[in-house]
Amino acid sequence: MTRAQVLAALLTVALAIGVVELVRRRRLSEEYSLLALVAMAGVLIVAFWTRGVTMFTHWFGALYETSVIFFFGLVFVMMALVFYAVKLTRLTQEVRRLAQESALLRLRLERAERRDGTDGEDGR
Amino acid sequence: MRVLVVVPAFNEEESLPAILAEIRARAPGVDVVVVDDGSSDGTQAAARAAGVPVLALPVNLGVGAALQTGFLYALEEGYDVAVQLDADGQHDPADLPVLLEPLAAGRANLSIGSRYVEGSSLYHAPFLRRVGMMLFSALATAVTGRPLKDTTSGYRAYDRGVMALCRTEFPQDFPDAPLLIQVARAGFVLEEVPVSMRPRTRGQSFYTWTRSLYYPYKTLLASLVLLLRRPPRRIGGAS
Repeated sequence: MTRAQVLAALLTVALAIGVVELVRRRRLSEEYSLLALVAMAGVLIVAFWTRGVTMFTHWFGALYETSVIFFFGLVFVMMALVFYAVKLTRLTQEVRRLAQESALLRLRLERAERRDGTDGEDGR
Repeated sequence: MRVLVVVPAFNEEESLPAILAEIRARAPGVDVVVVDDGSSDGTQAAARAAGVPVLALPVNLGVGAALQTGFLYALEEGYDVAVQLDADGQHDPADLPVLLEPLAAGRANLSIGSRYVEGSSLYHAPFLRRVGMMLFSALATAVTGRPLKDTTSGYRAYDRGVMALCRTEFPQDFPDAPLLIQVARAGFVLEEVPVSMRPRTRGQSFYTWTRSLYYPYKTLLASLVLLLRRPPRRIGGAS
């Protein structure tokens, strides 16, 4: 094992522990943790299966292993960003709809309370 | 014809009382609702003081979503027509009959109070803004096949069919050219009518300079993406 491999292994293990801990504390949902764990598995494979990386580099037609790794790393990050943007868009739409619904319901409630002759703050 | 005037308002406590009083005086037959778009000032209180119901959005959603909230309310309450009217005093409630006429006559589903058609009062916009307006006017005209001169006018009347379409399909940030294109593509009829635009009484223009860069980008993109989608299906409404 080279020093770089030891470092990669240690880093991955530390990150994995961190992610699992976040999930355990419910700060991160299982859905998103999967993405992080898949990425770590990828790092481990690339770090230890150097023969495979070399083979793939030749097949891919690239000159250096590093450029192949960076290329696919970047592609992965880009895809993750798009994935999060899609999630954010949906969340925004949902929040908007809920805010609108709350405004509509609030007006209805105000009207109903006025009709009943209560102001809603009499501790019912 | 039951008409609801929807006034989207974001921090408009100063201009709101005047415009609400004016609507009441000039157009006594219509109902009014103020959509408070998460204002941090006394917008809600100003509307309530005028005896106008308020749809209070808990957060700021933008003018498009505020308008859409008004549509949802109009649909629920059974109004035939919703009129969008700005809170800043630019739109003259005295023009309401002109705006409503194409809908009442059954000629159109959406009417736009335009600054540029024959008979409207002179309107002076800064040069760059005029260029942008011409661009979007050309785009909207090309896509809808109808001459649309004023795509940025926020003085419009919508019938129930258009509102029902807007319940699900709605450009959220700037409901200008993209909205008109979408409505036209769904098979609704648009008509421009001449109105006068007054200088805003108070407050800042919605179009600040950062937005003057973002607005054309966003609006152009939204318009073009609309063309890639299948035209939305009409849901009811007068023809």
